[in-house]
Amino acid sequence: MYGFEAISHHNGWVAAATGACIVFSGLATLAFLISQLHKLTDLLDRPPKVTVTVAPPEKPVVPPPPEDPLDLERTVERYLPLIEELDAEFVLADLYVLAKRYHLPHVHLSIRTMVEAGRLEPLGEGVFRFSA
Amino acid sequence: MDLFLQFLGNTGFGLVDWRNLVMIVVGVFFVYLAIAKKYEPLLLLPIGFGIILGNIPFFKGFGIGIYEANSVLHYLYFGVTSGLYPSIVFLGLGAMTDFSFLLANPKLMLLGAAAQMGIFCTYLGALALGFSPHEASSVAIIGGADGPTSIFLTAKLAPHLIGPVAIAAYSYMALIPIIQPPIMRLLITKKEMRIRMPEMRQVSRKELIIFPVVGLILCTFMAPASIPLLGPFFFGNIMKESGVVDRLANTARNAIIDTATIYLGLTVGASTQGDVFLNPKSVGIFLLGAVAFSIATASGLLVAKFMNLFLKEKINPLLGAAGVSAVPGSAREVHMMGQHADPTNFLLMHAMACNSSGVIGSAVCAGILWSFLMG
Repeated sequence: MYGFEAISHHNGWVAAATGACIVFSGLATLAFLISQLHKLTDLLDRPPKVTVTVAPPEKPVVPPPPEDPLDLERTVERYLPLIEELDAEFVLADLYVLAKRYHLPHVHLSIRTMVEAGRLEPLGEGVFRFSA
Repeated sequence: MDLFLQFLGNTGFGLVDWRNLVMIVVGVFFVYLAIAKKYEPLLLLPIGFGIILGNIPFFKGFGIGIYEANSVLHYLYFGVTSGLYPSIVFLGLGAMTDFSFLLANPKLMLLGAAAQMGIFCTYLGALALGFSPHEASSVAIIGGADGPTSIFLTAKLAPHLIGPVAIAAYSYMALIPIIQPPIMRLLITKKEMRIRMPEMRQVSRKELIIFPVVGLILCTFMAPASIPLLGPFFFGNIMKESGVVDRLANTARNAIIDTATIYLGLTVGASTQGDVFLNPKSVGIFLLGAVAFSIATASGLLVAKFMNLFLKEKINPLLGAAGVSAVPGSAREVHMMGQHADPTNFLLMHAMACNSSGVIGSAVCAGILWSFLMG
């Protein structure tokens, strides 16, 4: 049996048409699915919800004004604990060394202010005494 | 003297048949094409040498020939008749295939589907020429231009045709540079050949991993008979894309596929013994194979042109020719044809996307044809 007769006899027309439709629709479905795949992966890739607390803007820190070594009361207040560590009559150099060790600012100026104000009374030969 | 004459009568010289000689010449020609012309050497060299090997005359009954039980060649040939080698080749093929271009432009998958129309047209042609439905399916699958798929389906439906179907399928794959360009020039204008494909989007690793699972489920649910081909194919692909079993993926795409290709080619070649192979049916298979391949190419091209009627962003219709699953021959041919029209147009990776969808399409077709004829 040959020709169209053979095709019809073996149900060829239906088989070919059905086969072609299945392949085409199947691959079209697969094409559609893979065209949506990136949306799915985007969902998977979406980062977890995190509540973000927004901190209020920090106020600019104003640095404290530099201490004024000419302010006698403040200087005395600062140096008194140091003077108390020394003997009643002490060598001024010892006070200077102690002030440096405690990182007090403007040591020279501060001591001069106290000397000029008479709070450090000179006893001669570099020895001083605190005068309350 | 009698002993010498008796010995001579048992040698190849005494047993030779003209059909063996014809096939040996064909085998030598294949070897020549593979080595001198470099036409698909990975296929044609094992097949060509196998043809020579299979046509050496021998004394029958000693368990030497490929069709004789207990012969070494017969055991090796079991991989063909059982469909084992095609499955293994598909495993390696999956581990080689990069689907990122297909995922970036899924409409190219339709071209892979369109090119399968050659299979169904040839099915009708084969029935009309007097082939039985089982034989017609085996001949028609040549239109998919996929050697392993053709061998697999023929092994299941018409094992006596494995030799001619395999030789036709692989021959036409090797002859892509001769068959496809005239059809492309006939159906596609120069202006269409110059259409540039858009830049592809970046495809994520997750998409590449999900695709083999989705593809396997959809395709095998649709045509369960394609499981032996598509199962290993998508498994190979997920091994590649997952990145966690690089050793296995490397083995699949190198050592395993190479081993299977060697034995597949050699035994398919050796199965073409002149007395079995040279008959009018083989000539019919070759003719129908050429028709199938040409229709597949043409339908891919025409559907691409048809799609352009509706698409805002046109696709280069040459890509339709890569819808046949001859990887990577047809993609290379499409690229070269595109470059011929416009040297700055690069179509290779887009064509590879069509090629990979063609592999899936032809395997699904094989599954459908097998399902139709199971009953």
